[in-house]
Amino acid sequence: MSGLIATPLLWLAVTLAVFEGADILSRRSGRHPLCHPVLLATPVLIGVLLATKTPYATYAEATQVLGFLLGPAVVGLAVPIWAQRATIRRLAKPLACALLAGAVTAIVSAVGIVWLFGAPAEIIASIAPRATTTPVGMAVASQLGGIPALAAVIVLMSGVIGAMTATPLLSLLKIRDYRARGFAVGVSAHGFGAARAFQVDQTAGAFASLGMALNAVATATILSIVASLI
Amino acid sequence: MIGAIALLLVCQLGGEVIHRLTGLPLPGSVIGMVLLLAWLAFVPRERLTLTQVTGWLTAHLSIMFVPAAVGVMEEGAILSRHGLGIVVAVAVSTLLTLAVTALVFRAVAGREPEPDDSGEGAS
Repeated sequence: MSGLIATPLLWLAVTLAVFEGADILSRRSGRHPLCHPVLLATPVLIGVLLATKTPYATYAEATQVLGFLLGPAVVGLAVPIWAQRATIRRLAKPLACALLAGAVTAIVSAVGIVWLFGAPAEIIASIAPRATTTPVGMAVASQLGGIPALAAVIVLMSGVIGAMTATPLLSLLKIRDYRARGFAVGVSAHGFGAARAFQVDQTAGAFASLGMALNAVATATILSIVASLI
Repeated sequence: MIGAIALLLVCQLGGEVIHRLTGLPLPGSVIGMVLLLAWLAFVPRERLTLTQVTGWLTAHLSIMFVPAAVGVMEEGAILSRHGLGIVVAVAVSTLLTLAVTALVFRAVAGREPEPDDSGEGAS
């Protein structure tokens, strides 16, 4: 019986079952950002591990296959970028300027503020890619000497905050163009922002997906260049 | 189906190889994304299965990073000491990035001619 505890079977089954439960609750909430399945499932799983005195290393090894899929998923982001090539060509100048401004703002403001709070280097490295989609943020953070788990949580927080504040903030700034609104929420709040944008407007959703995919490349590139200079 | 999965894995593998050989500091999967873009540009044909496979992966991205997110259980010390700074930084940075991106887009797009939908934009 105790032999089961170390197999992938047990923890994969538990993870998928807890996630499915969280996903049902999230659907019932009308996909509210605060009810994102990851936000609901993660504390439950931590509770299960603590209650059963299972070390995180055991759990991480058993559920490796889920993390493995992140690699091909990131590669696959090329497909939506390619599908929008006509839009990218037509709006090359505003997209490029907004992307660059957004990526730099996200990095500099997040890093600057935690630095003012006296955070150590591994936190600075974990927060620098906060606006990218989670798998890219984790990969970039670990390359910069950050903590991937912390980066994952920081990226999730960005998503929740961005998805909840985008509509009131952008209305306050009197930005009515759904292309600008969608692109901004995708650049700043990745997949969470894109999901929120699709609830509001199809054009906003398409531009948010584009913003998410392009910012994954832009932020990873900027941080790589900065890292190689330091 | 297998062909599409193979293409994704080969691109990622190529990205990892380039990452290791050249010391390019981009993650291998991001280099792999650029390789796949190049493939899409140079090998023009229908790619229904590739779109289905990547669509499925993207739709289920959330569960893939659950194991990593659970890893914060080991970062309790860092979170209790630096949690406030992290929350403030993430909140301010997210709002600021939203505003700057949208304002820059509007400022630049405003000076561009309106998109001509009868032209190549429809393709």
